[in-house]
Amino acid sequence: MPKDASAPTLAATDPANHARTSAGHAESQPSRAPRLKTPEIVKRVFDRFPLRTYEACELPQGRTSSRDEHALFVFTTQADAKAGRSSYNPGCLKWQAYLRFQGLDFVTVPSNNHASPSGALPYLLPAEATSSGRAPIPSTRLQRWLKDGDQSGAKRPQDRGSGEGRPSADNQMRYDAYLSLLDHKIRNAYLYTLYLCPSNFDSIARPLYVDPSTSNSLARLTVSIQLRDAAQAELLKQAATIDAEVLYQGSCQAFEALSELLGEGRYFFDEQKPGLFDASVFAYTNILLDETKTWKETRMLEDLRQFGNLVKHRERLLQQYF
Amino acid sequence: MAAPLGSGDDGIFEQLRRKQGAKVLEEKARAAEAEELARAEKAQRRLGDLISSNSTLPCTISNIHIIGAKHTRPGFLRGIFDPILSANQDHPYTLAEAINEVSRGVSKLHKLDIYQQPIPLSITRPDPTNSSSTPTDIDIYLNLREKSRILLKTGTDVGNAEGSAYVNALGRNVFGGGETVNLNAALGTRTRSAYQASFDTPVLSNPDLRWESGGLASSTQKPFASHEEVLKGGWTKLKWAPEGGGAHEFAYNGVWRQVTSLAGGASPTIRADAGDSVKSSISHVWARDQRDNPLLPTRGLFRKTLLELAGWGPLQGDVAFAKAEVEAQSALPVPIPGVQGETGVSFTTGLRAGLLYPLPLGLESESKPSRINDRFQLGGPTDVRGFRLSGLGPHDGSDAVGGDLYAAGSANLLFPLPRVGIDRPFRLQAFVNGGRLLALKRSSGKGNDSENVKQAAVSTVSELGNGLPSISAGLGLIYALPMARVELNFSLPLVLRKGEEGRKGLSFGIGINML
Repeated sequence: MPKDASAPTLAATDPANHARTSAGHAESQPSRAPRLKTPEIVKRVFDRFPLRTYEACELPQGRTSSRDEHALFVFTTQADAKAGRSSYNPGCLKWQAYLRFQGLDFVTVPSNNHASPSGALPYLLPAEATSSGRAPIPSTRLQRWLKDGDQSGAKRPQDRGSGEGRPSADNQMRYDAYLSLLDHKIRNAYLYTLYLCPSNFDSIARPLYVDPSTSNSLARLTVSIQLRDAAQAELLKQAATIDAEVLYQGSCQAFEALSELLGEGRYFFDEQKPGLFDASVFAYTNILLDETKTWKETRMLEDLRQFGNLVKHRERLLQQYF
Repeated sequence: MAAPLGSGDDGIFEQLRRKQGAKVLEEKARAAEAEELARAEKAQRRLGDLISSNSTLPCTISNIHIIGAKHTRPGFLRGIFDPILSANQDHPYTLAEAINEVSRGVSKLHKLDIYQQPIPLSITRPDPTNSSSTPTDIDIYLNLREKSRILLKTGTDVGNAEGSAYVNALGRNVFGGGETVNLNAALGTRTRSAYQASFDTPVLSNPDLRWESGGLASSTQKPFASHEEVLKGGWTKLKWAPEGGGAHEFAYNGVWRQVTSLAGGASPTIRADAGDSVKSSISHVWARDQRDNPLLPTRGLFRKTLLELAGWGPLQGDVAFAKAEVEAQSALPVPIPGVQGETGVSFTTGLRAGLLYPLPLGLESESKPSRINDRFQLGGPTDVRGFRLSGLGPHDGSDAVGGDLYAAGSANLLFPLPRVGIDRPFRLQAFVNGGRLLALKRSSGKGNDSENVKQAAVSTVSELGNGLPSISAGLGLIYALPMARVELNFSLPLVLRKGEEGRKGLSFGIGINML
């Protein structure tokens, strides 16, 4: 009985501890020595401390986004984020577009890989009001998070289900095959053309990925080298040598296949609404066809331009959702 | 033997052995020491008498012979001893002056830390048959023994609240001019890895004016703010120790910092600061230590100031601010009525404060808010005891996000342990310490132009006086190791702010520089 009575006192007189536990952070717990049973009298004396507790200190004015909206952390510029424009990174744009398609209300926040829990963007920080708290959600768990309907507080995605982007079960194999075209053929050619074509690296990758991180030229040089090395390593994982011609032909064939798949339909797999697959295609076609980006080596986008329906698909989504 | 035989032999031997072990040996050593001291004193006195009776004897230093400096450049030694030679003086020395000058030169050699100490010095008269000598000439002989030029050390180290294992390679007198090359690699509890290389050389043969350059690469975990900081950078600095005491350091630092490997529960404030930033700054540090013992002071004053200017104007980089920090500690012996001489009881007070003032970067007109890397942290066993590491100041969730302004003070009463001598490195302490760590307030106006920042800084400083500081008090035991001070304290927080993390009960601290 006395134990129960003392518990609320602890919470009331020790707001520091209280705040800690309510923040749900377990990390500092082990540093507290394994608790022996403290005699009741000692405990009661301890509970009197601190004798006085003031309001919390103000947080530093940082670049933090508003905390009552879902925030998707992506590669983007401050201006683009404010205007809600598309991210320039295919991996980020895929999810940005998908969440838009799903009708989720969110803001984009410029960020970088260091900030991500998984080491890669994008990730989503749910609004403070939702029950999942502020634990970040990496892109791999976004679909499930949407499905679980844990977005209370902010606007719920409307009409979920119909536009899931997932084809019926018998089409699953086809879906996977086309997805692998995107994830391998197109992605590899894109990695090559963006990072390993020196002219494109200078006109596109450097201003988008390197320059925003730091103003120091030595650090920029190091980051550039790291980026190119990473792209090269990624390509060498799948082939013994890096042959530009093979990569471009691969992506051209992939575009052709996708174009055939889309046919005269508005969206892939004859869906009524764009889904994840549309988002995945749009992620690449948008950055390639973006007029504000000056590609110096244009082989890949010229290949893409041959397929009018893919170009129209991109324009349709851009107009409708961005 | 009065003792019963039963408990006999063993006990006696034991007793004998114990006595031999502890007291007798100690006494013997003490006696030997005293004898040695007396002998040295006598010799000193005899020499003193000899010199003082001849102190006004005019003399000229014609030659200084330096023996045993195999690896030292003659030109470098000339820089120290040439000015002493009478040929370079406009008036003759008296013997006392001459000895004084030479010993100043020798003390410079001592400071270089490349020769074994002490350096034996002898004075002779040159051969009078030598036609080039005059009757007043004396020759000086210095017998140097060089210290080993390469020193490799491995070991474990304790610093301010962290433990590490290190490998250290030291190259002494590398180019024969007292230059030092220092290579250091360490793996530790908080500093996951740190590599450092530095080169240090006296300027113009002056051991009190040194120039140092170096580079570092390190990776440090900051669990109190859910991230890891990776540093790569370099510095160059001029270190000057004027004769009156104190030491100055003028430095340029260039560091590329990465806030990376965030914990899963990292707060939005930390996430927003994740990534790269380059700090390019100039700084000045001045310190003067007049305490009798830096780890267990009983009297004296320690003062230190730091000024840093980053990113301003031509400095470039990604962050721009001016930073000022002051630190002071004073110690007073406390007399006890009825006790003659040193009581071992002392009262120390410490004060630290700092301000980080944002500046516009380069030619921009607005300043950017400070970053987690640059903001101050406060709390923990080496500053405000009775709080967790970085337990004071603004917290976003569980992350100590740091502040732009801090002030902390401490009052400690140290007294010797009963039945333990006051010369032993143990003390009991009773302390009260507290502090505030504040983020710069948001200015009322829009934007961050200089007028708004100034306003914000003023209102933040005035906030320091709003309410009591966060305070804790306690009792503890101090043990001063040769290189660091260890404390075991029992403390309770008295005043807190919400989010701040006090620590009730026992805490252990180890540090070099404690508040």
